[in-house]
Amino acid sequence: MALPKRIIKETERLMAEPYDYPHVPLTVFGASSDSLSLCISRVSGINAVPHEDNLRYFDVSIHGPAQSPYEGGIFRLELFLPDDYPMTPPKIRFLTKIYHPNIDRLGRICLDVLKNNWSPALQIRTILLSIQALLGAPNPDDPLANDVAQRWKDDEPAAIQTAKEWTRTHAMT
Amino acid sequence: MSAKVPRNFRLLEELEKGEKGLGAEACSYGLADGEDMMMSNWNGTILGPPHSVHENRIYSVNIHCGPDYPDNPPTIQFVSRVNIPCVDQRTGKVDPTKVPCLAQWKRDYTMETVLIELRRYMALPQHKKIPQPPEGSTF
Repeated sequence: MALPKRIIKETERLMAEPYDYPHVPLTVFGASSDSLSLCISRVSGINAVPHEDNLRYFDVSIHGPAQSPYEGGIFRLELFLPDDYPMTPPKIRFLTKIYHPNIDRLGRICLDVLKNNWSPALQIRTILLSIQALLGAPNPDDPLANDVAQRWKDDEPAAIQTAKEWTRTHAMT
Repeated sequence: MSAKVPRNFRLLEELEKGEKGLGAEACSYGLADGEDMMMSNWNGTILGPPHSVHENRIYSVNIHCGPDYPDNPPTIQFVSRVNIPCVDQRTGKVDPTKVPCLAQWKRDYTMETVLIELRRYMALPQHKKIPQPPEGSTF
Protein backbone atom coordinates (compact mmCIF):
# COMPACT_ATOMS: atom_id res chain seq x y z
CA MET A 1 0.00 0.00 0.00
CA ALA A 2 1.38 3.40 -0.96
CA LEU A 3 1.98 5.74 1.92
CA PRO A 4 0.17 9.10 1.51
CA LYS A 5 2.44 11.99 0.47
CA ARG A 6 1.55 13.88 3.60
CA ILE A 7 3.00 11.14 5.83
CA ILE A 8 6.14 10.82 3.71
CA LYS A 9 6.64 14.60 3.88
CA GLU A 10 6.21 14.68 7.64
CA THR A 11 8.63 11.82 8.11
CA GLU A 12 11.17 13.58 5.88
CA ARG A 13 10.72 16.79 7.80
CA LEU A 14 11.28 15.01 11.09
CA MET A 15 14.48 13.63 9.56
CA ALA A 16 15.67 17.09 8.60
CA GLU A 17 15.55 18.33 12.20
CA PRO A 18 18.96 18.95 13.76
CA TYR A 19 20.44 15.83 15.27
CA ASP A 20 20.53 16.29 19.02
CA TYR A 21 22.81 13.52 20.14
CA PRO A 22 25.98 13.73 18.05
CA HIS A 23 27.73 11.32 20.40
CA VAL A 24 25.21 8.57 19.62
CA PRO A 25 25.91 7.00 16.24
CA LEU A 26 22.93 6.63 13.93
CA THR A 27 23.45 2.90 13.84
CA VAL A 28 22.24 2.71 17.44
CA PHE A 29 18.77 3.26 16.04
CA GLY A 30 19.31 0.67 13.34
CA ALA A 31 19.37 3.43 10.80
CA SER A 32 21.26 4.17 7.65
CA SER A 33 20.97 7.66 6.27
CA ASP A 34 19.72 6.82 2.79
CA SER A 35 16.59 4.84 3.54
CA LEU A 36 13.25 6.45 4.28
CA SER A 37 12.03 3.33 6.05
CA LEU A 38 14.81 3.73 8.58
CA CYS A 39 14.55 7.44 9.11
CA ILE A 40 14.82 9.05 12.50
CA SER A 41 13.20 12.20 13.68
CA ARG A 42 15.40 14.42 15.72
CA VAL A 43 13.19 17.14 17.11
CA SER A 44 14.66 18.47 20.32
CA GLY A 45 14.46 15.74 22.93
CA ILE A 46 12.13 13.73 20.76
CA ASN A 47 12.76 10.71 18.56
CA ALA A 48 10.23 9.01 16.32
CA VAL A 49 11.19 5.94 14.31
CA PRO A 50 8.69 4.24 12.00
CA HIS A 51 8.51 0.44 12.12
CA GLU A 52 10.02 -1.05 9.00
CA ASP A 53 6.99 -3.26 8.42
CA ASN A 54 4.42 -0.53 9.16
CA LEU A 55 5.36 3.02 8.22
CA ARG A 56 2.27 4.38 9.99
CA TYR A 57 3.47 2.97 13.33
CA PHE A 58 6.23 4.86 15.17
CA ASP A 59 8.37 4.09 18.20
CA VAL A 60 8.69 7.38 20.01
CA SER A 61 10.83 8.58 22.87
CA ILE A 62 10.44 11.87 24.68
CA HIS A 63 12.92 13.34 27.13
CA GLY A 64 11.32 14.70 30.28
CA PRO A 65 11.53 18.51 30.24
CA ALA A 66 14.07 20.31 32.45
CA GLN A 67 12.73 21.64 35.77
CA SER A 68 9.88 19.14 35.72
CA PRO A 69 9.50 16.02 37.88
CA TYR A 70 10.23 14.05 34.69
CA GLU A 71 13.65 15.62 34.09
CA GLY A 72 16.31 13.03 33.29
CA GLY A 73 13.76 10.43 32.23
CA ILE A 74 13.36 9.03 28.74
CA PHE A 75 9.76 8.04 28.13
CA ARG A 76 8.79 5.53 25.44
CA LEU A 77 5.58 5.98 23.51
CA GLU A 78 3.91 4.42 20.48
CA LEU A 79 2.16 6.38 17.75
CA PHE A 80 -0.12 5.21 14.97
CA LEU A 81 -1.48 7.18 12.02
CA PRO A 82 -4.95 5.80 11.24
CA ASP A 83 -6.39 5.49 7.72
CA ASP A 84 -8.11 8.86 7.86
CA TYR A 85 -5.10 10.77 9.20
CA PRO A 86 -4.74 13.77 8.98
CA MET A 87 -8.51 14.21 9.11
CA THR A 88 -8.37 12.45 12.48
CA PRO A 89 -5.52 12.79 14.99
CA PRO A 90 -2.72 10.27 15.47
CA LYS A 91 -3.28 7.64 18.14
CA ILE A 92 -0.61 7.79 20.79
CA ARG A 93 0.09 6.38 24.23
CA PHE A 94 2.91 6.07 26.74
CA LEU A 95 4.61 2.68 27.09
CA THR A 96 6.69 3.84 30.05
CA LYS A 97 4.77 4.10 33.31
CA ILE A 98 4.38 7.73 34.34
CA TYR A 99 2.76 9.50 37.29
CA HIS A 100 0.87 12.40 35.73
CA PRO A 101 -2.72 13.67 36.18
CA ASN A 102 -3.44 13.67 32.44
CA ILE A 103 -2.02 10.22 31.67
CA ASP A 104 -3.78 7.07 32.85
CA ARG A 105 -2.47 3.70 34.00
CA LEU A 106 -2.47 2.33 30.46
CA GLY A 107 -0.53 5.33 29.16
CA ARG A 108 -3.50 6.99 27.48
CA ILE A 109 -3.17 10.76 27.22
CA CYS A 110 -5.80 13.42 27.87
CA LEU A 111 -4.80 16.31 25.63
CA ASP A 112 -7.21 18.60 23.76
CA VAL A 113 -5.24 18.55 20.51
CA LEU A 114 -5.51 14.76 20.41
CA LYS A 115 -9.29 14.99 20.64
CA ASN A 116 -11.68 17.87 19.90
CA ASN A 117 -9.02 20.45 19.13
CA TRP A 118 -7.25 18.36 16.52
CA SER A 119 -6.69 20.12 13.21
CA PRO A 120 -5.19 18.62 10.04
CA ALA A 121 -2.75 21.55 10.14
CA LEU A 122 -1.14 19.93 13.18
CA GLN A 123 1.50 17.26 12.66
CA ILE A 124 3.29 14.40 14.38
CA ARG A 125 6.03 16.83 15.33
CA THR A 126 3.67 19.40 16.90
CA ILE A 127 1.77 16.70 18.77
CA LEU A 128 4.96 15.29 20.28
CA LEU A 129 6.03 18.79 21.34
CA SER A 130 2.57 19.30 22.91
CA ILE A 131 3.00 16.07 24.87
CA GLN A 132 6.45 17.17 26.03
CA ALA A 133 4.91 20.48 27.11
CA LEU A 134 2.17 18.61 28.97
CA LEU A 135 4.89 16.89 31.02
CA GLY A 136 6.18 20.33 31.98
CA ALA A 137 2.71 21.66 32.82
CA PRO A 138 0.40 19.02 34.36
CA ASN A 139 -3.25 20.07 34.37
CA PRO A 140 -5.07 18.46 37.33
CA ASP A 141 -8.29 20.30 36.44
CA ASP A 142 -8.75 18.19 33.30
CA PRO A 143 -7.74 14.80 34.64
CA LEU A 144 -7.66 11.38 33.08
CA ALA A 145 -6.12 9.64 36.07
CA ASN A 146 -8.52 10.80 38.78
CA ASP A 147 -6.59 9.52 41.78
CA VAL A 148 -3.40 11.20 40.56
CA ALA A 149 -5.19 14.48 39.86
CA GLN A 150 -6.79 14.51 43.30
CA ARG A 151 -3.43 13.98 44.96
CA TRP A 152 -1.96 16.74 42.78
CA LYS A 153 -4.61 19.12 44.10
CA ASP A 154 -4.46 17.99 47.74
CA ASP A 155 -0.72 17.77 48.18
CA GLU A 156 1.25 18.96 45.17
CA PRO A 157 4.75 18.56 46.70
CA ALA A 158 4.00 14.91 47.57
CA ALA A 159 2.57 14.25 44.09
CA ILE A 160 5.66 15.77 42.49
CA GLN A 161 7.83 13.60 44.73
CA THR A 162 5.97 10.48 43.54
CA ALA A 163 6.33 11.61 39.92
CA LYS A 164 10.10 11.94 40.46
CA GLU A 165 10.29 8.49 42.02
CA TRP A 166 8.34 6.91 39.18
CA THR A 167 10.63 8.67 36.69
CA ARG A 168 13.67 7.18 38.44
CA THR A 169 12.12 3.72 38.62
CA HIS A 170 10.57 3.44 35.17
CA ALA A 171 12.18 6.03 32.86
CA MET A 172 15.87 5.82 33.74
CA THR A 173 16.56 2.14 33.18
CA MET B 1 -6.11 -1.97 1.53
CA SER B 2 -6.32 -0.10 4.78
CA ALA B 3 -3.70 0.73 7.37
CA LYS B 4 -2.71 -2.14 9.63
CA VAL B 5 -3.70 -1.23 13.19
CA PRO B 6 -0.92 -2.32 15.58
CA ARG B 7 -1.70 -4.77 18.39
CA ASN B 8 -1.80 -2.32 21.28
CA PHE B 9 -4.05 0.19 19.53
CA ARG B 10 -6.35 -2.65 18.47
CA LEU B 11 -6.58 -3.81 22.09
CA LEU B 12 -7.28 -0.24 23.25
CA GLU B 13 -10.16 -0.08 20.73
CA GLU B 14 -11.53 -3.36 22.03
CA LEU B 15 -11.14 -2.16 25.62
CA GLU B 16 -13.10 1.02 24.93
CA LYS B 17 -15.82 -0.91 23.13
CA GLY B 18 -16.03 -3.34 26.03
CA GLU B 19 -16.08 -0.58 28.67
CA LYS B 20 -18.81 1.36 26.92
CA GLY B 21 -20.89 -1.78 26.46
CA LEU B 22 -21.16 -1.19 22.73
CA GLY B 23 -20.80 -4.88 21.99
CA ALA B 24 -23.28 -7.73 21.95
CA GLU B 25 -25.39 -8.00 25.08
CA ALA B 26 -24.80 -11.70 25.60
CA CYS B 27 -21.04 -11.33 26.08
CA SER B 28 -18.73 -8.99 27.92
CA TYR B 29 -15.01 -8.64 28.41
CA GLY B 30 -12.52 -6.43 30.22
CA LEU B 31 -8.88 -6.23 31.24
CA ALA B 32 -7.91 -8.63 34.04
CA ASP B 33 -5.32 -6.15 35.34
CA GLY B 34 -6.03 -2.46 34.71
CA GLU B 35 -2.33 -1.64 35.09
CA ASP B 36 -0.97 -4.17 32.62
CA MET B 37 0.54 -1.95 29.92
CA MET B 38 0.71 -4.93 27.54
CA MET B 39 -3.01 -5.69 27.97
CA SER B 40 -2.39 -9.43 27.67
CA ASN B 41 -4.94 -10.95 30.04
CA TRP B 42 -8.68 -10.41 29.86
CA ASN B 43 -11.77 -11.70 31.60
CA GLY B 44 -14.77 -12.58 29.51
CA THR B 45 -18.30 -13.71 30.27
CA ILE B 46 -20.80 -15.54 28.10
CA LEU B 47 -24.47 -15.62 28.92
CA GLY B 48 -25.73 -19.13 28.22
CA PRO B 49 -27.92 -19.24 25.08
CA PRO B 50 -31.68 -19.62 25.54
CA HIS B 51 -33.53 -22.88 24.73
CA SER B 52 -30.50 -24.92 25.81
CA VAL B 53 -29.11 -26.51 28.98
CA HIS B 54 -27.00 -23.36 29.28
CA GLU B 55 -29.95 -20.99 29.59
CA ASN B 56 -29.54 -18.47 32.44
CA ARG B 57 -26.01 -19.61 33.24
CA ILE B 58 -23.11 -17.18 33.15
CA TYR B 59 -19.77 -18.60 32.05
CA SER B 60 -16.44 -16.94 32.92
CA VAL B 61 -13.45 -17.33 30.64
CA ASN B 62 -9.84 -16.15 30.69
CA ILE B 63 -8.62 -14.70 27.41
CA HIS B 64 -4.94 -14.32 26.65
CA CYS B 65 -3.78 -12.05 23.81
CA GLY B 66 -0.14 -12.83 23.02
CA PRO B 67 2.44 -10.47 21.49
CA ASP B 68 1.35 -11.52 18.00
CA TYR B 69 -2.36 -10.78 18.49
CA PRO B 70 -4.37 -10.00 16.33
CA ASP B 71 -2.25 -11.68 13.65
CA ASN B 72 -2.84 -14.84 15.67
CA PRO B 73 -5.94 -15.67 17.71
CA PRO B 74 -6.16 -15.30 21.49
CA THR B 75 -6.15 -18.40 23.69
CA ILE B 76 -9.28 -19.07 25.71
CA GLN B 77 -9.72 -21.00 28.94
CA PHE B 78 -13.03 -21.53 30.70
CA VAL B 79 -13.05 -20.73 34.42
CA SER B 80 -16.63 -21.97 34.82
CA ARG B 81 -17.10 -25.66 34.24
CA VAL B 82 -18.85 -26.43 30.98
CA ASN B 83 -19.27 -29.68 29.11
CA ILE B 84 -18.89 -29.05 25.37
CA PRO B 85 -16.57 -30.88 22.95
CA CYS B 86 -14.24 -27.92 22.28
CA VAL B 87 -13.36 -27.54 25.98
CA ASP B 88 -10.75 -29.76 27.67
CA GLN B 89 -12.55 -31.29 30.65
CA ARG B 90 -9.44 -31.25 32.84
CA THR B 91 -8.15 -27.72 32.21
CA GLY B 92 -11.02 -25.74 30.69
CA LYS B 93 -8.84 -24.82 27.71
CA VAL B 94 -10.60 -24.30 24.39
CA ASP B 95 -9.25 -26.43 21.54
CA PRO B 96 -8.77 -23.88 18.74
CA THR B 97 -9.05 -26.56 16.03
CA LYS B 98 -12.67 -27.19 17.01
CA VAL B 99 -13.89 -23.59 16.85
CA PRO B 100 -14.06 -22.24 13.28
CA CYS B 101 -13.22 -18.61 14.05
CA LEU B 102 -10.08 -19.71 15.92
CA ALA B 103 -9.10 -22.37 13.38
CA GLN B 104 -9.53 -19.95 10.47
CA TRP B 105 -8.56 -16.78 12.28
CA LYS B 106 -8.67 -13.45 10.44
CA ARG B 107 -6.96 -10.30 11.62
CA ASP B 108 -10.20 -8.31 11.85
CA TYR B 109 -11.78 -10.82 14.26
CA THR B 110 -11.93 -9.64 17.87
CA MET B 111 -12.35 -11.13 21.34
CA GLU B 112 -16.04 -10.43 20.91
CA THR B 113 -16.10 -12.52 17.71
CA VAL B 114 -14.72 -15.45 19.72
CA LEU B 115 -17.13 -15.07 22.66
CA ILE B 116 -20.15 -14.84 20.35
CA GLU B 117 -19.02 -17.88 18.42
CA LEU B 118 -18.49 -19.91 21.61
CA ARG B 119 -22.02 -18.98 22.65
CA ARG B 120 -23.33 -20.09 19.26
CA TYR B 121 -21.35 -23.32 19.64
CA MET B 122 -23.16 -24.04 22.93
CA ALA B 123 -26.50 -23.61 21.19
CA LEU B 124 -25.79 -26.00 18.31
CA PRO B 125 -28.41 -28.82 18.11
CA GLN B 126 -25.75 -31.44 18.93
CA HIS B 127 -24.48 -29.46 21.97
CA LYS B 128 -27.48 -27.81 23.52
CA LYS B 129 -28.70 -30.91 25.40
CA ILE B 130 -25.37 -32.27 26.73
CA PRO B 131 -25.65 -32.71 30.53
CA GLN B 132 -23.76 -30.00 32.38
CA PRO B 133 -21.79 -29.88 35.65
CA PRO B 134 -23.44 -28.08 38.58
CA GLU B 135 -23.95 -24.40 38.00
CA GLY B 136 -21.21 -22.25 39.50
CA SER B 137 -18.52 -24.99 39.58
CA THR B 138 -15.09 -24.09 38.25
CA PHE B 139 -12.13 -25.80 36.59
